[in-house]
Amino acid sequence: MEAQLTRRTAASCCQHLILSSASSRSSRVLLRPVRIPTTAAGARKQSTRSRTKRALNIPPHPSFLEPQQKPGGNHIVFNPPASAPSVFHTPFKFLPKSDPRRRANLPASLFASSTTIQYNHTTPSSTSQLDDPDFIANAPLIGSDCSTPKPHHLTPTDVEEIRRLRTEDPVKNSVAVLSERYKCSKLFIMMCVSSPREHRDKIKSALEMVRQRWGPRRAAAREDRRRRWEMLFNSEL
Amino acid sequence: MKRLRADRWTGQLLVARSSQRGCCPAAAGALRSARSDQHYLPVRSQWTAVSSPFSEATETTFATTLQAPRDPSELPSPIPERALHSAKLASLHARLSLPKKLPIQTLARTLVDASADENPLFNNVNLAFVGQTVINYHVSEYLMARYPRLPMEIVWASMRGFAGVAPLFQIARSWGVESAAVPGGEVDPGLLQFTTESPGVSLTKFGYRRTEAMYLEKYKWRRGISNRVVFDDDFGESVNVTPGTEQTAHEAEMQKKERENDEEEEENEYSMRRYGDDVTRSLAEKAHAHFVRAVVGAVYMHCGRDAAHNFIKAHILSRTLDFGRLFSFKKPTMELALLCDREDFDPPVARLLSETGRQSRTPVYVVGIFSGKDKLGEAAGPNLDHARLKAAMNALKAWYLYSPGEHVRVPSDMLADSAKKWEPAYIDIGEIISR
Repeated sequence: MEAQLTRRTAASCCQHLILSSASSRSSRVLLRPVRIPTTAAGARKQSTRSRTKRALNIPPHPSFLEPQQKPGGNHIVFNPPASAPSVFHTPFKFLPKSDPRRRANLPASLFASSTTIQYNHTTPSSTSQLDDPDFIANAPLIGSDCSTPKPHHLTPTDVEEIRRLRTEDPVKNSVAVLSERYKCSKLFIMMCVSSPREHRDKIKSALEMVRQRWGPRRAAAREDRRRRWEMLFNSEL
Repeated sequence: MKRLRADRWTGQLLVARSSQRGCCPAAAGALRSARSDQHYLPVRSQWTAVSSPFSEATETTFATTLQAPRDPSELPSPIPERALHSAKLASLHARLSLPKKLPIQTLARTLVDASADENPLFNNVNLAFVGQTVINYHVSEYLMARYPRLPMEIVWASMRGFAGVAPLFQIARSWGVESAAVPGGEVDPGLLQFTTESPGVSLTKFGYRRTEAMYLEKYKWRRGISNRVVFDDDFGESVNVTPGTEQTAHEAEMQKKERENDEEEEENEYSMRRYGDDVTRSLAEKAHAHFVRAVVGAVYMHCGRDAAHNFIKAHILSRTLDFGRLFSFKKPTMELALLCDREDFDPPVARLLSETGRQSRTPVYVVGIFSGKDKLGEAAGPNLDHARLKAAMNALKAWYLYSPGEHVRVPSDMLADSAKKWEPAYIDIGEIISR
């Protein structure tokens, strides 16, 4: 994120230069190939000051440079600022078969990896990391991995057993214990059986006791957290 | 002696022609006052059987009142003839660029709410019913063609957002329509006339009243979507009008409570009621909405289908509604997984695209949801879970808010002459999860 911000700043400075004076010297300086710091810590610091300056001197967005085919002519600069993607831009995958946009984009996406057929002759409009398949494949996964198939190993007799155990002794056979024993999720245990009402009431009153011990700060913080979750699901955040 | 056909006379007043044919204001006044005195029996039209024709006595009363018109302030609403002399009406007519075919008397009639004048020959209930039907038809058709994948709940919410009471109230306010403090025969016919003392009548809705309607609100019973599609009205609200009162049970209850409060506060000089409360506000909004519907109905009746469609496009469909804010999810990741499963996409995975300030007080994580190589959604959030769920919700919204284009054709465009051949609109196979 830091690196991106720096690059934007550099690009906007560069835009100013090209559009106002088009000084060749400064653009040559900016065009000099430098290594962009890509270490995990997002290193903004090299061992010397001049190296730091050089490292942070990032080449401009290709759209700002003069096209090599028509030097000296006018060209359109397209480099919109970073912003959250709009939900009104339907991803290619979500377009129905009959949509004309699908047909229009199909060749480009089909032969994107081709080295002989080039559909985009002009300069690439964006040099996003997302165009790089390696970047996507290496990006860390978050949450549960849906790509691994679920085992579905429990049989109806297991479910009966779970029900019996949980009803007999809900304290000893808690949801966590059962899910650990049967190698399934806690949600599945809760789907199979709900604990007896007395047990639930006991848990609820114990929670209520804990809640009553909260001071005003903690209570307010909990309430804020609850409201933040609510706002998140109502798309207010 | 030739019999007086009083209903024909009112008919003339009612159907104001573009060639403003002279009609006697005194007669109208007399008629209105006669009706208010309960001499005039139920509304007769050409196809109803004459159950109780005018008796001689009624006719004589009628003749005397003809000669001596009463004070206009005794009438519930201004007589139509006065519309021609109202500057407010003329300017409203001009401001809305209404066609010349729409006479100013009809515009005056759209401003008389049923709560001000109970006589359906002089209030706007009939026009509002037509207008409501036309508006709802055009809005729902537009929604269906423009956003074919919207879930039914969102369709209802957006129907309310375009054609519900709140937006229509805003439209009426933006037209610069002011309301009369108290309705009556002497007020300017260019003012919206309604009263918050009586509820008026509610418009007939297309929907069924459930037998268990009484208990729905009391016990908060669940109404499934398919059940609501069949039974409920155009906005997905249950039809709960008790036949006698023409008022929903909920409203009746609220009013009753208000009245009780009023009686308690009767001694208090500055009661809340005098300055308006939720009930009076909702009644006022309803009156404004009925006015807008009546104007649309009047445009439809006088100028035809195309003019009404253009009017609706200009004033109602042109309003901005943020569809992205209408959604509220419960389990977005599950819903997205079900969607990908249904559509034979690769199962969705969340990947961290970039992050900043993990150790700080205000970190930002940018998370993308991918199905195979394709990115379905992306979002930034203060923690990984927020960002992931937000990204999943964005992906779902991107699915639901698919649109074939900004200027989609709707079926009613085919009614125009020389319309191009109809290409079938895209219809989605249905919702992902049933609610």
